[in-house]
Amino acid sequence: MTRLTFIAKNSLRNGRRALLTVSSVAVSCALLVTLLTLQRELTVPPESEAASLRIIARNKVSLAQPLPAKQLATIEKIPGVVAVTPFTFFGGNFRDETVTSFPQFAVDPARFRELLVEGKIIDGDYVEWVKDRTGCLVGADTVKRYGLKIGDRMRFTGTLYPCDLDLRISAVFQGTVDDRGLFFHHKLLDEATGDLGTVGTWYLRVASAEAANDVISRVNAAFANSSAEVRAETERAFQMGFVSMWGNVKILITSISSVVVFTLILVTVSTMSMAIRERFRELAILKALGFQRREIFSFILAESFGLACLGAGIGIGGAWSFWTFIDLQSLTRGFLPYFEVTPRIMATGATIAALLGIIASIAPSIAVGRMSVVDGLKTLD
Amino acid sequence: MALPIQYNLRNVVVRWRATLSTILGIALVVSVFVLLLALARGIEASSANTGDPRNILVVRRGSQAESGSLVSREHFRTLRYFDEVARNEQAEPIISAEVVVIVSAPRIDGTGEANTLVRGVTPRGIELRPQVELIAGRWFQPGQREVVVSRRLAARFAGFEIGGTIKAGQANLIVVGHFDAKGSAFDSEAWMDADETRAIFDREMYSSLLVRPRGPEAATQLMKRIEDDKRLSLRAELEVDYYSKQTMTATPIKILAGIMGLAMSVGAVFAAMNTMYASVASRTREIGTLRVLGFSRSAILFSFLIEGALVAAIGGAIGCLMAIPMNGYSTGTIDFQSFAETVFEFRVTPPLMLQGISFAVAIGLLGSFLPALRASRLPVIAALKSL
Repeated sequence: MTRLTFIAKNSLRNGRRALLTVSSVAVSCALLVTLLTLQRELTVPPESEAASLRIIARNKVSLAQPLPAKQLATIEKIPGVVAVTPFTFFGGNFRDETVTSFPQFAVDPARFRELLVEGKIIDGDYVEWVKDRTGCLVGADTVKRYGLKIGDRMRFTGTLYPCDLDLRISAVFQGTVDDRGLFFHHKLLDEATGDLGTVGTWYLRVASAEAANDVISRVNAAFANSSAEVRAETERAFQMGFVSMWGNVKILITSISSVVVFTLILVTVSTMSMAIRERFRELAILKALGFQRREIFSFILAESFGLACLGAGIGIGGAWSFWTFIDLQSLTRGFLPYFEVTPRIMATGATIAALLGIIASIAPSIAVGRMSVVDGLKTLD
Repeated sequence: MALPIQYNLRNVVVRWRATLSTILGIALVVSVFVLLLALARGIEASSANTGDPRNILVVRRGSQAESGSLVSREHFRTLRYFDEVARNEQAEPIISAEVVVIVSAPRIDGTGEANTLVRGVTPRGIELRPQVELIAGRWFQPGQREVVVSRRLAARFAGFEIGGTIKAGQANLIVVGHFDAKGSAFDSEAWMDADETRAIFDREMYSSLLVRPRGPEAATQLMKRIEDDKRLSLRAELEVDYYSKQTMTATPIKILAGIMGLAMSVGAVFAAMNTMYASVASRTREIGTLRVLGFSRSAILFSFLIEGALVAAIGGAIGCLMAIPMNGYSTGTIDFQSFAETVFEFRVTPPLMLQGISFAVAIGLLGSFLPALRASRLPVIAALKSL
């Protein structure tokens, strides 16, 4: 019998306990991975290279406060600005839905091309969209989700604007970090609302990432002390601003995660102690046979580590496959579009489980180390 | 004959080391479960406490929240003279045309900015919301750029203390008072003069109208009249109904509580099972002796179940105790309806704690059932022979 088979046999000799321990570690690991993924989903917006080339300018008061459309002429003249389009969140409910399950934006199609840096037109024609005033450009995810095709009509009930929209799909894009969005002519929105002369935000493209900071300060300066002061920031900073609105949700998830880890430690430590206590006599015999403390420690460590890692493997693997193959986007009506279990999260889970295995072996090892062979042999159960 | 509970109690005490980790584990699971429910409870309480059953809220048809609603001045004037609207002593119609805007303000802890809901109200609007009470400073003066903020918001945002300023573009709003809205949704708002709000934020239209009809019958009539009037394209709803729909935000938390409770309890059940199995194994001879003494199989099964439930109930009680300090702690997140930060409190209520302890007992019973079954089925002679 090699040492490895000895350890394996020992681990599994109380099959029920091994199973229970492995399952509770597995469930906890799956939970931990899920929580970490949720936290990442809420707090780390997907990153893209092109985002550093784009700037969003909103009203300094808040995002909900519109900007005057006449600002366009000033922004266009600012050196370093390659393109600029109005960018107004419409917030309509598709068909008979009661929530806004994907975003719709009113833009200037002719200029928007420059901003859709990473997006590729996979169906239809961009130029057709520019020509068709009621046309729209839709993300591939949305098209797939609702089984739409070029030429289909899309009806929206306005929740923020007192008007409804009836759009026709002109083209489909793919390849951006969020392929759910829909874009339509700002002119259409202006007509429907009786030309308010306002836009939601301005969406700017700069020549290079280095130029972005200059452009931001120039845009901010251009409207300082005007009736509509502007806050321009990179697309990334803008997204992080959204994240900060989650407020205490992040702390909440973090605290639950730490409780899960702590529970996990409790479970494993108590099981390992139990497993070793049962075997005190045997371990005393091993000692009497001349096994070194070091070797006995390694037996305990290997067993505890092995069980923890087996549990982690099952739990993390299970969570990964579950969240990868389930369609959470439609389940949560677009609230959690990605829910990607990243390698980094899985590695975090695995590291915690491995540490757990080590921690769980400490107390039993100390107990065994302290025990004298004679006392150990006397132990009854 | 049943085994005395004393027997289980003593066992729990004697084997405290093994049971301690089970108790702690269950306590943690229960505290997370109770706290999440307390959070959901707080959100619900804030919507439930908002609104007066006698008031009617009028918004634009199709809008989901006041912040996305537009009501024109003509509509306001039309509604003002509807017969169904009650009048005060001065014979003025009790109707408040209000504007809701979102202002971004820096957080007090320096972690960036968040949106605050600023409501432009009229004196009628303040009267119509008796749950809002001024607790410090004074009310704003009409025509002045003065604002009164909720005490809870003041604890979260920089510059919301009395005498502080809220920057809204070019305008500086001076904070002149703090109000308390008794945990209602108004606790997430800042109030100022309606016309001043419209001027500063360049709003031609109002966001909503709050109306007090003459009586319940007039209320029904008025709602029907507004709904039926195609020219108005407005939606009228009892104020309480409007806010109870905003309770939607508590659902994700409840779902989270359910999922977390379920997943964590699976781990806890396994852990409890492990401990109970070990407890049964180490007591094999004892159980044999009990059987010889004449205790039936069912008495032993029952006894071990009681023990499991007892350990779990202790854990549950500790879990609840751990959750209690969070009672009343206010926290906030974005409300997707209004797009502004909403503040609510953890509400650890006695029914919730009872729910937590029942949850713990369920974990204990589930975890001890199989071990108890095993204990009751031990063959007497073999059990007596065992070491």
